[in-house]
Amino acid sequence: MPRPRPSSPYSARSPSPMFTLPQKESRKPTTCPGSVSTRGLHSIYGDGLEREAARKPDQKLLYGVGDPTAMFSSDSPHLSSRGSIIKWFWDSAEEGYRTYHMDEYDEDKNPGGIINLGTSENKLCFDLLSRRLSHSDMLRVEPSLLQYPDWRGHLFLREEVASFLSFYCKSPAPLKPENVVVLNGCASLFSALATVLCEVGEAFLIPAPYYGAITQHVYLYGNVRLVCVYLDSEVTGLETHPFQLTVDKLEMALQGAISEGVKVKGLILINPQNPLGDIYSPGELREYLEFAKRHALHVMVDEVYMLSVFEESVGYRSVLSLEGLPDPQKTHVMWATSKDFGMSGLRFGTLYTENQDVATAVASLCRYHGLSGFVQYQMAQLLRDRDWINQVYLPENHARLKAAHTYVSEELRAMGVPFLSHGAGFFIWVDLRKFLPEATFEEERLLWRRFLENKVLLSFGKAFECKEPGWFRLVFSDKAHRLRLGMQRIRQVLEGKSQVAEDPPSCQTQEPRGPHR
Amino acid sequence: MSIQSRSNPSDIPHMSDGQVWDQAFRNHSIHTCLMEMVLSLQQAVADHITQLATRHQQQDLVPEEQGHNQPIWGQEALLGRLMFQMVNHLQFGATGGQKFQPPCPSEDSKGDVRSREQAQVSKQIYKIFYQLTNFEDTSINYVLSNRGVETSALYHGSFQDYNTYQGNKYHEDKNTLGFINLGTSENKLCTDLLTERLSRSDMNYIDDDLLQYSDWRGQPFLREEVAQFLTYYCKAPAPLDPENVVVLNGCSSVFSALATVLCDPGEAFLVPTPTYSDFVFSAHLYAKVDLVPVDLESQVSDANTHPFQLTVDKLEQALLNAKLEGKKVRGLVLINPQNPLGHIYSQDSLMEYLEFAKKHSLHVIIDEIYMLSVFDESITFRSVLSMESLPDPNKTHMIWGTSKDFGISGFRFGTLYTHNKEVALAMSSFGYLHGISGITQYKLHRLLQDREWIDNVYLPTNHSRLQEAHRFITNELKSSKIPFLSHGSGLYVWISLRKYLDPCTFEEELLLHRRFLDKKLILSCGKTFMCKEPGWFRLVFAATPLLLKHAMQRFYTVLVEQEQDWVVKQLEDAINQEVEDLPASDASQSYSREVILTSGLEGCCSDLGL
Repeated sequence: MPRPRPSSPYSARSPSPMFTLPQKESRKPTTCPGSVSTRGLHSIYGDGLEREAARKPDQKLLYGVGDPTAMFSSDSPHLSSRGSIIKWFWDSAEEGYRTYHMDEYDEDKNPGGIINLGTSENKLCFDLLSRRLSHSDMLRVEPSLLQYPDWRGHLFLREEVASFLSFYCKSPAPLKPENVVVLNGCASLFSALATVLCEVGEAFLIPAPYYGAITQHVYLYGNVRLVCVYLDSEVTGLETHPFQLTVDKLEMALQGAISEGVKVKGLILINPQNPLGDIYSPGELREYLEFAKRHALHVMVDEVYMLSVFEESVGYRSVLSLEGLPDPQKTHVMWATSKDFGMSGLRFGTLYTENQDVATAVASLCRYHGLSGFVQYQMAQLLRDRDWINQVYLPENHARLKAAHTYVSEELRAMGVPFLSHGAGFFIWVDLRKFLPEATFEEERLLWRRFLENKVLLSFGKAFECKEPGWFRLVFSDKAHRLRLGMQRIRQVLEGKSQVAEDPPSCQTQEPRGPHR
Repeated sequence: MSIQSRSNPSDIPHMSDGQVWDQAFRNHSIHTCLMEMVLSLQQAVADHITQLATRHQQQDLVPEEQGHNQPIWGQEALLGRLMFQMVNHLQFGATGGQKFQPPCPSEDSKGDVRSREQAQVSKQIYKIFYQLTNFEDTSINYVLSNRGVETSALYHGSFQDYNTYQGNKYHEDKNTLGFINLGTSENKLCTDLLTERLSRSDMNYIDDDLLQYSDWRGQPFLREEVAQFLTYYCKAPAPLDPENVVVLNGCSSVFSALATVLCDPGEAFLVPTPTYSDFVFSAHLYAKVDLVPVDLESQVSDANTHPFQLTVDKLEQALLNAKLEGKKVRGLVLINPQNPLGHIYSQDSLMEYLEFAKKHSLHVIIDEIYMLSVFDESITFRSVLSMESLPDPNKTHMIWGTSKDFGISGFRFGTLYTHNKEVALAMSSFGYLHGISGITQYKLHRLLQDREWIDNVYLPTNHSRLQEAHRFITNELKSSKIPFLSHGSGLYVWISLRKYLDPCTFEEELLLHRRFLDKKLILSCGKTFMCKEPGWFRLVFAATPLLLKHAMQRFYTVLVEQEQDWVVKQLEDAINQEVEDLPASDASQSYSREVILTSGLEGCCSDLGL
């Protein structure tokens, strides 16, 4: 259907080969089924060939430029063009959650309801948090908290955030309150940053798979697109682990986007990564930052899981801990309490940037992303309480995460399901490719629906823009009884399913598969 | 050091000596004024460089020292502010040209081009500024997008006074010389009641659900409560449906999201002016939607039975003009009770406006955020939700929030009620960006639920305090013969200070505004409400009696000074007139005369528009 208002900048289509959005049911996958080969990146082809290969059909596998307008076409008499797209976002993304919300599991009232292992929330520490938030020090009501605030956030909170981040990110020098902007969650922060750093239609690079909601956050108001840097499960060349991000891949995606006339303004990194659970080493991080500096790109580092590294051996390093950032004026750090303090419903997020222009511009939009004065007060109290955080909350939280993680990973091993997990985050990246009769995103969606029918909600790889069909994200940070039940339900589906999938000779997950598997 | 004396940020908005600036504004046009700002900017830059040079010398002695020291930060702030002020003047001048002066067709038809040019200009200025602040690293280019620069500039230009106030608030014991803010529409009369209510134990409930992600339209318990609350207080003929309720963090957010889902960039809403200035920003900042003013007049005539009356004729005319200019108008924005006029639309007029909208298939957004702040009992306010049958329910969207009616703007709560499910769903996507904390949602739900407290304690007390404050202010204004409009609702009176302006222009209005600022009194001037006539101010009276009294003292001082200056100026002009008997008698300003004389075009001054 033709777009009704072709003059609208929202209908400016790009000739992009791939979209970075959850697909409609009927859409055929654009990737060649099963062709997971990473020829474009194989070192045996040499450099020149590699570039060539990147322009040939395999191009699709290296990167993809998102274009939300390209996939949506029905119009509403009441909504604007962009309003229709926005509504479509809601309709498509919320399918699983709507089903879930109508039939939520409850131990007593609805034992047959859906178990949610799809939403990345930490449900293990509500007891600790409720107790802490009910302390008498949280209950102060002051007239100034009732009135219009400083839109950057109350100063008392910004001071507390600066000292909190200095401590937990191990910054070489104390961080400054004037570099802090407080708003209602990282989603808002993505929206504001996209708007103040990019013009309409410009783009950010993002390694995929990634936390898919960012697509929507940067699009809704900003009309900014994401260019996916596709990563592979296959370990090739000098790589040391699956889905490894390398500067080569970043370069390739950037060049690809440029060749399509897409202007790239920045790079988004999530560290610890969601959904992979990866952690970037300081060395890798520095390489990515150098890459960005070379191309004058902003880097937004989302460190929303920084305190959820439950495996002590992992050695996580915040970007704020690095001495001498390559381009401090273009490095913007995001953090929130949603994950690390298991309070996604609290809506508190923060930006740390040395760039005063960026801080000010984001603050100019904070009128639309403000959070209640009370909540600001409570957050300041919480972040200030180092004793409780260090001696009560973090040790307990990590122990519980570890226990839940151990349980789920053992279950998966027992089922013979390969997975990736690195001791950080709330999730395991599960490889169910061998349970798909055909390596397509349709099959992936069908399997996902089968899980849902069996009353367990997971997230499928396509929602993270994973280019290989068959990966799922499984959230393990839930209470033991729910987790047990959830795993049972997963097992039922896979066992029922694997019978069917047994027919064609099943493949080993880590081996390249033929095109007609 | 001379530089350090200028680095105090509170000096900046009106310079070290407000009088000097005033004089500058009085004698010259905005362009001259800009020129002067450029000159002072130049001075500031030179100072800054000197300072930097000294710092480098110092740094040689202490090589470890990194980053800027305090005076330099202060100077950079000064530079930045000057730049932004200038950008703002440029933009304000330009929009002013479009909105307040006789239309210039060539300008209007190229609106888009011009705004792009403006952005370019801002960007260039910004670039200079950026390079200045990053003196040691000139290889870095500008960092913000055009819209980012524009956002910052707009914000700085508009909220400068507010930020100044935040840094230096009046306090009856601690800071009697601080700013008194009668510019921001906040109700500070009932903080005692609210503090008490919000401190009760029922407010301090924490539940797992409140800490988790919830429905992005708002927690179901809150949406149910809002539906019931609105059913009751808006006197809806049938119970309102919680499914039609969307809850976000403030009415600005609701408006911004609604504008986005109803309009594409560059499309427009009609809005009767003067209007609440926040909508101007909220339409523009994120949504990039234009507002087409429906200019109302203070003059009472046959068509105008009361000042600033909105009629369907005026709506039709504005819509027609917009169409002729190629604007696509998607809706009409109404505020009822009106801000800043304090008007209330009768049910009949409201129905006429709705019928007009239906006829042209326009959406109607009705902001009823002051609906419970109607303190004069003789007035009957009727909510749009109370109407038996709406002309076009699918295109009628009502906004309400607790900021004004409960005086808790710091709570960040706004809500949309719409019969249109599609609109409600599209709005839901914005829950990610405008979400409210679960804990806050719970508190709001308890607050709205407590009808007994609201009906028996809060509303009666609030209304009687508003009445009292209103009586005080209106008596003051009457006794000093200052005309004003007020209709027994809202937190403000709309006052006319036209007789203090000579000539009656927006420049003079701005000057008077600055005079108030110099005396540490913040009022909102008419221009920020897109008022067509210069000389109107909005004065917020919802403050404690003591504060109001102090404020009025400052208010009178300024007006007296203004009058004295006027007399002096008259005298000076008269003297000048006699001394220099020029052929071009209509060019009364010395600045104009100079230009004319030097260019030798004495006879053509009127053609030049001087």
